[in-house]
Amino acid sequence: MNLKRLLLQVTTAVGLIAAIGQVVAGTITGSAHDFSTQAWTGATAGAPNGGRICIACHTPHRSDTSVTDAPLWNHKLSTASYTLYSSPTMDASVTALGGNSKLCLSCHDGTVAVNSFGGVTGTTMISAANNIGTNLKASHPIGFTYDSALATKDGSLFDPASKQVTIGSGTQTRTGTLTATLLFGGKMECDSCHDVHNTFTVGGLGSGLVKVDPAGSKICLACHNK
Amino acid sequence: MMKTIRVLVSCTAILVWMAMGVCRADVASTKHNLSVNGPGGIKATVESQICVFCHAPHNSSPSAPLWNRRSPGNTYTPYTSSTAKAIAGQPTGASLTCLSCHDGTIALGELLSRTVKVPMAGGAITMPAGNSNIGTDLSDDHPVSIAYTAALVAARNGELVDPSTLAGKVKLDKQGQLQCTSCHDAHDNTNGKFLVIPNTASALCVSCHAKSGWSGSDHKLSVATWNGVGTAPWPHTSGTTVAANACESCHRPHSAGGRKSLLNVLAEEGNCFTCHNGNVAAKNVQAEFNKISTHPVAVTTGVHDMTEPATIQSRHVECDDCHNPHAANHTVGTAGGSLAGALAGVRGVSISGTEVKPSTAEYQICFRCHADSTGKPAPYTNRQFVQTNTRLEFDPVNPSFHPVAGPGRSAKVPSLIAPWTVLSRVDCSDCHNNNAGLGAGGTGPNGPHGSTNIALLERPHALTSTPTAGDICYKCHSQSVVTKEAPHNRSAHLRYGCKACHDPHGISATQGNTINNSRLINLDTDDNKPVGNPPKLYVDTVARKCYLSCHGQSHNGDSY
Repeated sequence: MNLKRLLLQVTTAVGLIAAIGQVVAGTITGSAHDFSTQAWTGATAGAPNGGRICIACHTPHRSDTSVTDAPLWNHKLSTASYTLYSSPTMDASVTALGGNSKLCLSCHDGTVAVNSFGGVTGTTMISAANNIGTNLKASHPIGFTYDSALATKDGSLFDPASKQVTIGSGTQTRTGTLTATLLFGGKMECDSCHDVHNTFTVGGLGSGLVKVDPAGSKICLACHNK
Repeated sequence: MMKTIRVLVSCTAILVWMAMGVCRADVASTKHNLSVNGPGGIKATVESQICVFCHAPHNSSPSAPLWNRRSPGNTYTPYTSSTAKAIAGQPTGASLTCLSCHDGTIALGELLSRTVKVPMAGGAITMPAGNSNIGTDLSDDHPVSIAYTAALVAARNGELVDPSTLAGKVKLDKQGQLQCTSCHDAHDNTNGKFLVIPNTASALCVSCHAKSGWSGSDHKLSVATWNGVGTAPWPHTSGTTVAANACESCHRPHSAGGRKSLLNVLAEEGNCFTCHNGNVAAKNVQAEFNKISTHPVAVTTGVHDMTEPATIQSRHVECDDCHNPHAANHTVGTAGGSLAGALAGVRGVSISGTEVKPSTAEYQICFRCHADSTGKPAPYTNRQFVQTNTRLEFDPVNPSFHPVAGPGRSAKVPSLIAPWTVLSRVDCSDCHNNNAGLGAGGTGPNGPHGSTNIALLERPHALTSTPTAGDICYKCHSQSVVTKEAPHNRSAHLRYGCKACHDPHGISATQGNTINNSRLINLDTDDNKPVGNPPKLYVDTVARKCYLSCHGQSHNGDSY
């Protein structure tokens, strides 16, 4: 093997590692939700305001307020009806999704193009791997109240009012009760496990933007006293 | 210094004790933690996630409980039994999810959420052979996926608890079905074998099973232990007494040798001999069956069935035909009176031929095989009136009978040895019993399991010679009185044993009469031949005259 090629390979490898290393918790840049390099966010050479990160979801003006507490919403919302989770052994009752979960599903239920935002209807659908679908029965339940009463009734859930958990990684961490760190209005939603902006996550591309390390199933065992 | 060390040692001991006492309920500390950090032998080479081997937050199937393994899709051989009122079909629900590892057909690392199988240490692909590999043949396992309903309880004659009262950790699924999860909690191995509660004294089994008579049974209460000799009686439990093992002394919920009753071993009697060989139970019953005359429990396997009629058709005998292991106890019976605890809770046949449940007298149990059953052997002795149905022989309406089913007809039996009187009743086992048991003056186990004497008699019985003092007849009938009475007082009259003239069971009213067949007269036709012309062969017990030729001695109307 000639020295030049070896050097090239090493350089490439180091570059790759450095690139992954850059996607640390605390920044949306470089994360799975950084759409700045997508053609449909204006990354194409010469397009105005090219390389925007936030635009697929947010807009500073004329946002969609149809979802309660929608954060300056800019993405087309899904009109799909969902099959909610049910289980004969579940004590919690899942009746409706929280608004924040609906926002996630506006891309992740696979019915609306990822690039349908700002009044434009796109055609790029979410990848199969990231497509939750509309059958939410196959996914961990969301949209239910997780409180001390539920923990007591279930018997194998930690009390969210007292159980502490640390979310995030590196210098970007936050420690608090399950209620404070994982729940929204006392409810379990998509963002109980995932941090859409990669603010408090374990970091790294392909990590699913999860807030607690899956190694040792710590993310599961944060709530489940198994 | 020494004191300091002692204190330190004590503290360490306390800490160790405390650590042992801490309940490790968390799944991470159990064998179900298949991650690289798992404590068991079966684990991943690299994968550190624990829950992922069973659960996934997205794209799970079946959705509850967020299952991350494919359904095995196998056709299972379900449990069957003639007594099972709930028919187990193909496993469903939680049981099927357990089988996605435990039937041994799916790679442990094959997960829905992974495109590549998770590599396992040691190259373990599927569940290795052993207790954890249930296989696809579930016929040797406790049934699962069965509806446990009030109707089932009724069908089992109340020998199951009302499912609506299952309030503890033993639970049915939401469809009211019993599943693997009724007994096992996959996340908690505090009790071992992932049991939902400890099975000491079969606490888990009796959460559902309420066997009649069990509360007073020696198999529930006995604190007998193994003496260490021979084969260990309780290989699959940690209990060291009969009471601690309880159901599991005989049964096992998985990999049962005797499938339909989930018995430890296939041969029915083998389950009893495990303890009744002198190594746990004090008396060695097993050895009794090596004698020349026995109830041959070892001859058949799989013939006995719990649902067979009280009158056994396909003649066989197992310990279970005479004993109810769920109700048996050591209560001592009284001769002709209360039933011994060893025979508690056993079905029988009444003197009128109907089922008695449970039996109230020993003979009712004997009648199961020795009365109306077909295929009985010919009697030992050839007699004028051939009768193999003991129920007909002992019927109190007969001209004469030994007082088994009721007091005898004779108002005067001078030979009876106290405490026997003409009002006494006897049991079959007063004559048919262990030759070395209590009744014979020995120390062996009681009951007609085996004897060195013919016809399972407790004592010898002369067939071709003068009875000795030890003859079974002389047990109750005083030899000195008998030999002084006419016609016994002529030595020739005892030369061929009592049986030459007397039928010890009785003569059926359909065959004999009160003139010729009182006093158990039913002549042995090998000893006695007709006499005169026309030929006569009978005894007139009213006129006290004999019409017979006994070994060449003609008595054509001779008085006695």
